Amino acid sequence: MDNGGSEGIMSEVIVENVTKKFGNFVALDNVNLTIKPKEFFVLLGPSGSGKTTLLRLIAGLEDITEGSIYIGGKKVNDVPPKDRNVAMVFQNYALYPHFNVFDNIALTLKVRGYSKDAIKSRVSEIAKILHIEDILNKKPRELSGGQQQRVALARALVREPSVFLLDEPLSNLDAKLRVEARSFLRSLQKEVGVTTVFVTHDQSEAMALATTIAVLDKGIIKQVGDPYELYTKPKDIFTAGFIGSPAMNMIPGKLVKDGSSWRFVSEDFSVQLINTEFENEYDVILGIRPEHITLVKDDGINAKINNVEPMGAVTYLDIQVGSVELTVQYTGLIKLEAGMEIKVKFVEEKMLFYDRKTEKLLNV
Amino acid sequence: MNRNQVIKIGLVFAAPLIIYFLIFFIYPIYLLFKYSFTSASGAFSFINFENMIRDPILYDSLINTLYYFIGSVAVQFSAGFIAAVILNSYTGRLKNAFRSILYIPLTISPIVIALMWLIIFNPTYGPVDYMLDMNLNWLGSMNLAMPTIILANAWEYIPFVFLIIYAGLQSVPKQYYEAASIDGMSRFQTFRYITLPSIRPIMIIAFLLNSIGILQGFTLVYVLTNGGPGFSTYILSFYIYKVAFTYFNLNYASALSLLFLVIIGIYVYAILKLSSVEKYLGIKK
Amino acid sequence: MKKLDAFLLILLIIFSFFALFPIYWTVITALKVNSEIFTIPPVFFPTKITFSNFYTPGTTFGEVSQTAFGSFPWLINSTIIALASSLIGTFVIGAPAAYALTRYLKNVWFARLILFMMMIPEAAFIIPFYVIITKLNMINTWWGLILVYISFTAPLSTWLLMGFFSDIPKSVEEAASIDGLSAFSTFYKIALPMVIPGIMVSIILNFINAWNEFIYALVLTYTPFPTGAQTVPLYLTDFIVIEKSFAWGGLAAAGVIVMLPSIILGIYAQKYLVKGWTMGAVKE
Repeated sequence: MDNGGSEGIMSEVIVENVTKKFGNFVALDNVNLTIKPKEFFVLLGPSGSGKTTLLRLIAGLEDITEGSIYIGGKKVNDVPPKDRNVAMVFQNYALYPHFNVFDNIALTLKVRGYSKDAIKSRVSEIAKILHIEDILNKKPRELSGGQQQRVALARALVREPSVFLLDEPLSNLDAKLRVEARSFLRSLQKEVGVTTVFVTHDQSEAMALATTIAVLDKGIIKQVGDPYELYTKPKDIFTAGFIGSPAMNMIPGKLVKDGSSWRFVSEDFSVQLINTEFENEYDVILGIRPEHITLVKDDGINAKINNVEPMGAVTYLDIQVGSVELTVQYTGLIKLEAGMEIKVKFVEEKMLFYDRKTEKLLNV
Repeated sequence: MNRNQVIKIGLVFAAPLIIYFLIFFIYPIYLLFKYSFTSASGAFSFINFENMIRDPILYDSLINTLYYFIGSVAVQFSAGFIAAVILNSYTGRLKNAFRSILYIPLTISPIVIALMWLIIFNPTYGPVDYMLDMNLNWLGSMNLAMPTIILANAWEYIPFVFLIIYAGLQSVPKQYYEAASIDGMSRFQTFRYITLPSIRPIMIIAFLLNSIGILQGFTLVYVLTNGGPGFSTYILSFYIYKVAFTYFNLNYASALSLLFLVIIGIYVYAILKLSSVEKYLGIKK
Repeated sequence: MKKLDAFLLILLIIFSFFALFPIYWTVITALKVNSEIFTIPPVFFPTKITFSNFYTPGTTFGEVSQTAFGSFPWLINSTIIALASSLIGTFVIGAPAAYALTRYLKNVWFARLILFMMMIPEAAFIIPFYVIITKLNMINTWWGLILVYISFTAPLSTWLLMGFFSDIPKSVEEAASIDGLSAFSTFYKIALPMVIPGIMVSIILNFINAWNEFIYALVLTYTPFPTGAQTVPLYLTDFIVIEKSFAWGGLAAAGVIVMLPSIILGIYAQKYLVKGWTMGAVKE
């Protein structure tokens, strides 16, 4: 009867050499992932990166072209969605329009042969957790976007699935609700403790929710790691540019050996590196986050201010250094104006160097 | 689910349709072929097709069908189009009421329309001759019988063209017109450069469905004129019925049915190819 | 703008006059006494209204008679045949096939096939249908006409419902499959209830078409209820042929009875019609 249960909740998901093709189009290219039990795992990538396809493969809504997926140690390639004991929340919620909220949540229990009393108590239990006890008799079209989203969550969680899949469930909410829903979702997941896979294109959402993030681009996994790792040590140019807002500054240049130390030379300036070592001279791209460029009185790179954007807690400056424009984040407010000349310095230990050919991180 | 499973489930859902299709579409076409190539003595033969070439009534029927078809399409399409444009331009409150009124004839059975016409166009007691102050024998005259049938048929199907084109006109986004008025287009220019291109696929679909409906025509001829006077209102569908169920020549009637199917097939194929509306109908990738 | 509207209003009134006059004339003929029917000049506004054209005591039940009431046995056949062929065409064939074609068998050839079925002219199939129904021993029976009428109810339902099914988001059905429903309960419990407006239109349009059908009924039936399956259009033809010269009142009354249900149902289904015909090529 209880095919969810506590052991289900501990399920691990393993994606092994998975490739998915639609005709000739390769949506996912040899993807490998391990999603640990109870983890809040986020698949992050721009549209068309294959993140939703991967989620649908785990759900069983699409067929795997090559490779295998295991849920709780069991290979599920040929298991239909209904027998995988996964639950899913869709981007548009996909509530059954002709059922009221109670029946929307209860359907999956009815199908699985739960008794009437069991259904009643399970539904009211989950309704309590999601604060939707008052709307159980309403039809989906009578609900607000936020309420619909909670009903969709309730429907997914009511039978204690092994894996909880969410496909951009917050994207249809307005900005304020989205932030509320984020923290609610995070604490809900902790409370229920179910392995969760969450798809989004919004990197700040990913950072706020995830215990682990996998970054995808064009069907390829770029990097897997916790939010801290992804932010501080993005392993390639794509991840570096995709994570963080405003985006990381990218400056093309060369690493040149200068006596015993190294030097970064761009078209317009050069920086002496004191503590950083490299194997060879490379054509590189220097990545530096806006908050790691500091304003200095003297002994810095000359720059001109193009634009000042005071946000309150921080101020963003768009500055021109030769032919490149950089964004600088200054903590606090500062009295500067467009057109002014300033000097800046890069925080050396935060400078990331990417090989221009392989686009991979060179720092050790 | 893999592809095979998908197709299997699909075929189960479609099974009733497929079975019906085999028994009531494929088998009938097989029967038509079989009878068409059978002589009166029951042997395989081309005689029915040879007879077609020497059949003056068939020639009459084909010419009448062409007359009936072109006349009907011209009247129905132009009147339906004009009515749709008029109602679309009208901004008063009765818009929806007019739409319903102009649509009503479409729901009425052809047989009822036939009896209406018998009463209304009666040369002695009918209101039409009285209003026109004439005394015309509409259905009994060689020259007037076919136009009267075309008119009766048009009365029913103008609403069909009207309704589709009106819906098409209503679906043109308002912003197009706003942009056109900002660009300084005149009413006529707006119609020519904005409205017409926007509703082109709809017009072609309306035209296609309408002309197929017209070719279905049989009832009005059967009830109003019975093909007469003379053979002046014999159209192909009526002739097939006559050959089959008055002269009981099922073989020859089958050959005529095949001819009818081929004509319609070529016509539909030509329209689809020439107009490229297939993708709107979902019959092309 | 005001001037143009006034002009258009006049044109619309003229069009409406043409659309409504034949109906008006039929209705008043049905309500007139004979002396106002056969008179010159014709009476446009009857001074005396009678229902005797619908029913007079002594009407022979089940025979072509001078009052419309005689059509009752034909009406029974029409109702049963139209209802059955409409419901079978919609539920047994059309809805599952449309669902299969939008969700599982997304091949353009199936759509072409449906279009082909809709384009067959009735006259071209009277011979094979006559032969098949004779072989099945169903001439002049309800089932004979029902089976034949499905040849137009089923393709129309399929065509129409394909448009409706493709409008509902696929994710709702995916949610159902994750919730544990089989493909078949997903169809019956989830997808079908979501296209109820389409089902209604399909039933109504099919009913109207079957109710109005003439040529197959002419060929495949020859006596009214209870001995046969003749439908009400055939009552009217018999009436026209037999009573042509003198019973216009009864004829018009019978005409009113035949057209009334289809007008009412037609107006009810009106707003979905265009979508159905053009398979969603027009979004209203």
